[in-house]
Amino acid sequence: MTLSPDQTILFDLWGISLNATVFFTWIVMLVLTLGSILVTRNLRPDVPPNRWRTMLEVIVQGIEGQIKEIAGRSDRPLLYYAGTLFLFVAVSNLLLVIPGFEPPTASLSTTTALALSVLIAVPLFGITSRGLGGYLKTYLQPSFIMLPFNIISEFSRGVSLAVRLYGNIMSGAVIATILLGVAPFFFPVIMDVLGLLTGMIQAYIFAILATVYISSATDSSRASSSESAHPPQTEKETS
Amino acid sequence: MSIDWITVAAQIANFLVLIWLLKRFLYRPILDGIDAREAEIKARMQQAAEAEAAAKTTEASYRTQIAELQSAQSDVSERLRQEAEIERDTLLAEAHARIDQERKSWQTHLTEEGQKYSIKLHRAGAGALLSLTRKALMDLADDTLEGRMAHHLIGQIKPMVSDIKQASGPATEAVFTSHATLPEAAQTALSAELQAAFPGVTPAFRTDPDQAPGLVLRMGGAQVAWTVDSYLDGLDAVIQDHLSAGGDLKAQSNEA
Repeated sequence: MTLSPDQTILFDLWGISLNATVFFTWIVMLVLTLGSILVTRNLRPDVPPNRWRTMLEVIVQGIEGQIKEIAGRSDRPLLYYAGTLFLFVAVSNLLLVIPGFEPPTASLSTTTALALSVLIAVPLFGITSRGLGGYLKTYLQPSFIMLPFNIISEFSRGVSLAVRLYGNIMSGAVIATILLGVAPFFFPVIMDVLGLLTGMIQAYIFAILATVYISSATDSSRASSSESAHPPQTEKETS
Repeated sequence: MSIDWITVAAQIANFLVLIWLLKRFLYRPILDGIDAREAEIKARMQQAAEAEAAAKTTEASYRTQIAELQSAQSDVSERLRQEAEIERDTLLAEAHARIDQERKSWQTHLTEEGQKYSIKLHRAGAGALLSLTRKALMDLADDTLEGRMAHHLIGQIKPMVSDIKQASGPATEAVFTSHATLPEAAQTALSAELQAAFPGVTPAFRTDPDQAPGLVLRMGGAQVAWTVDSYLDGLDAVIQDHLSAGGDLKAQSNEA
């Protein structure tokens, strides 16, 4: 039994091995992009919205509302980033119900990549918002003694993000695989239902935590309240 | 559990590409559509607010016009009422004046008719009186009325000779005027008496149909006469008394 789709090599292309993680990531990207193109191709103000467009509007506005609630303002770049995080993780986990589909989020490489992207995005958004000097000063808050702890805190955020998402998704897939061998007709269905639920929750938590980290880097006045309000709640949901 | 760093790099690249794709095909079209719809709704709300404001302005204008029209209508009604009252008073005054005029005219007409009737009655009574008197004289005294009138006038002249001479002045003609032609005997008697009382005065006998029955002597400025008018006046008084008594009786019977 392979625990990670990284180890599943689907085919070689000009000497480059294409594993299942990258392949199914492309599938997810294709689904999201094609779905978006199909829904938004005839989008004009004079055309009344159909049910698909309304659904996408609800999703996008829901993400925007969450960001506004956390960051205290509407931030389009943050919407692009956090929204894509949420949609990618959510669709990856939802496609788990398709037989043969291996969610890319079950790969530690994918979750590490996403966590690294958050680690890179936090200083980028912070520098964009406060400038380089202003952002670096946040590592000396409340005093320079806290510098090593702040650096450790930044890295531990990324590690916790990566391990949390990987652990939840991979464990669900592993448990389903094990139960499939033990009781092939009943437990896998329940595990798939639970997997969908936990997959959606994980997508939400991952996107929310990324938003909290980025917004805390962009606005110090809201950082303390956001950090104190949301992470404990999400930790409880995760457990 | 291991991390394939090549896969990590590929996934980071994939994720960045996915961000760009979703930004290009999902977020921007959806958010632009929402913004456009919100702008359109805002514009329509603005138009609706402007239309409502315009409608309120128009409503206020119409209400003002209605109030002005009602005020003008009230003024016109008041003016028409006053004009109608004036016209009514004028018409009533004209009607009253016309009625008064007609009443006066009618009373004048009644008076004239009464006078005409009185004259007619007077003449009829005179004719009847003369006829009856003439017949009674002929039956009772075998004499004529004209003879008795001449005799009566002679009887009046005798005591008044000096007064007549004084009033008549230097008159040379005495004119006897009667309603009808006097008989010869009467003319002879009158001529003889005139010659005896007034020597040198020539008698002349004339008739006047408009004169009341009787005999009148005119000599210069003097006049001696006997006519039935005095009798007829008494007769008229009697008739009027009877008519008044008959009218009162008729009125009493109608009231009863």
